[in-house]
Amino acid sequence: MFRSTSSSAGRFSLGLGLGVIASALPMLASSAATGWEIVHDESRLGFEATQQGGRFEGRFEDFRADMRFSADDLAMSRFDVTVATGSINTGSSQRDSNLPDAEWFDTDAFPEAYYVTREIRATTDGYEAVGDLTIRDNTHEVVLPFTWQTEGDRAEMNGAVTIDRVRFGVGQGEWRDPSVAGHEVKVVVDLTLER
Amino acid sequence: MMKIRNTRDGWGAGAQLLHWLIAAGIATAMLLGWIMVNLPNSATKFELYALHKSLGITILALVLLRIVWRWINMVPDMPGTLSPREQKLAGAGHMALYALMLLMPLSGYVLNSAANFPLNVFGLVQIPNLTPESETLAEVASVMHLTFFWVLAAVLVAHIGAALRHHFVLHDDVLRRMLPVRRR
Repeated sequence: MFRSTSSSAGRFSLGLGLGVIASALPMLASSAATGWEIVHDESRLGFEATQQGGRFEGRFEDFRADMRFSADDLAMSRFDVTVATGSINTGSSQRDSNLPDAEWFDTDAFPEAYYVTREIRATTDGYEAVGDLTIRDNTHEVVLPFTWQTEGDRAEMNGAVTIDRVRFGVGQGEWRDPSVAGHEVKVVVDLTLER
Repeated sequence: MMKIRNTRDGWGAGAQLLHWLIAAGIATAMLLGWIMVNLPNSATKFELYALHKSLGITILALVLLRIVWRWINMVPDMPGTLSPREQKLAGAGHMALYALMLLMPLSGYVLNSAANFPLNVFGLVQIPNLTPESETLAEVASVMHLTFFWVLAAVLVAHIGAALRHHFVLHDDVLRRMLPVRRR
């Protein structure tokens, strides 16, 4: 009775086989592009925004990333970043008490935001990552220019890109008005990594 | 021809300009403040807040300038018709006005700082916050800002009432000498 004649079992084993091959692919890739761990104490995923025309800064305390980067193998380099939206901290309890609300990050419905690169390429000043940023299920392409310096087993990555918060549905209704909070938000990535 | 500086019997153009600029600023800031806190959340509300804060900082700067100007000018004599007790009362009233003109914007500035909100004056220049973030301090500053509002409103009623009394009841030149035209 274990010698199944059902086709579903056959498909299952075929699927399993493909899955093993597929899961082996990144391992093959990693032999070229190095995997890096973020040193969180020395890293910052921050942003600069405006409120009533005045500038302020904030950061996400909790984020993790699968970072693969080798300057000589950009084709296999890849960033896969997950950010806990509820970990936002702008140093103002009044402001921070509003940000998890439905009009802003709606952290109950969308606890995480993502940035997944599709391509990393060299530029005259360094590199740029072409990836999809997803906040509140709104996905848009974001090109992040960055520099990367490797020294031994440590690396520094610095990048910044300005995004439009409204495209991602952050700050809706009465908060949509730019006089309340500017639409442009500069995301600043300063990471220290180890391999 | 009105002089820029004060004389023994009248306020110069500098003192008058500062008096009336600050008067207009205070009236507008008080009105804006009253309207904005009673509005529901809206873009208008936040624009009024930004305007109120910008105006408050401007008034603070003008008041500091005014204190310096008063310091380096003579202060015109009060009319001799006033009793020593009335002169003392007028002096105390003006001291209270100067104190409130400083405390009012300062408590607002502290309130904004303790909330760690940025403050950009009329979209022109961002000024640094005075204090670290503190919910407790923000609450204290908020209560003080509102208290000073009521005290200032009361002292202003007395100030305007006294000026009108001088003009219409006592028929002296106390009100007229704060006006550019001083014809009798």
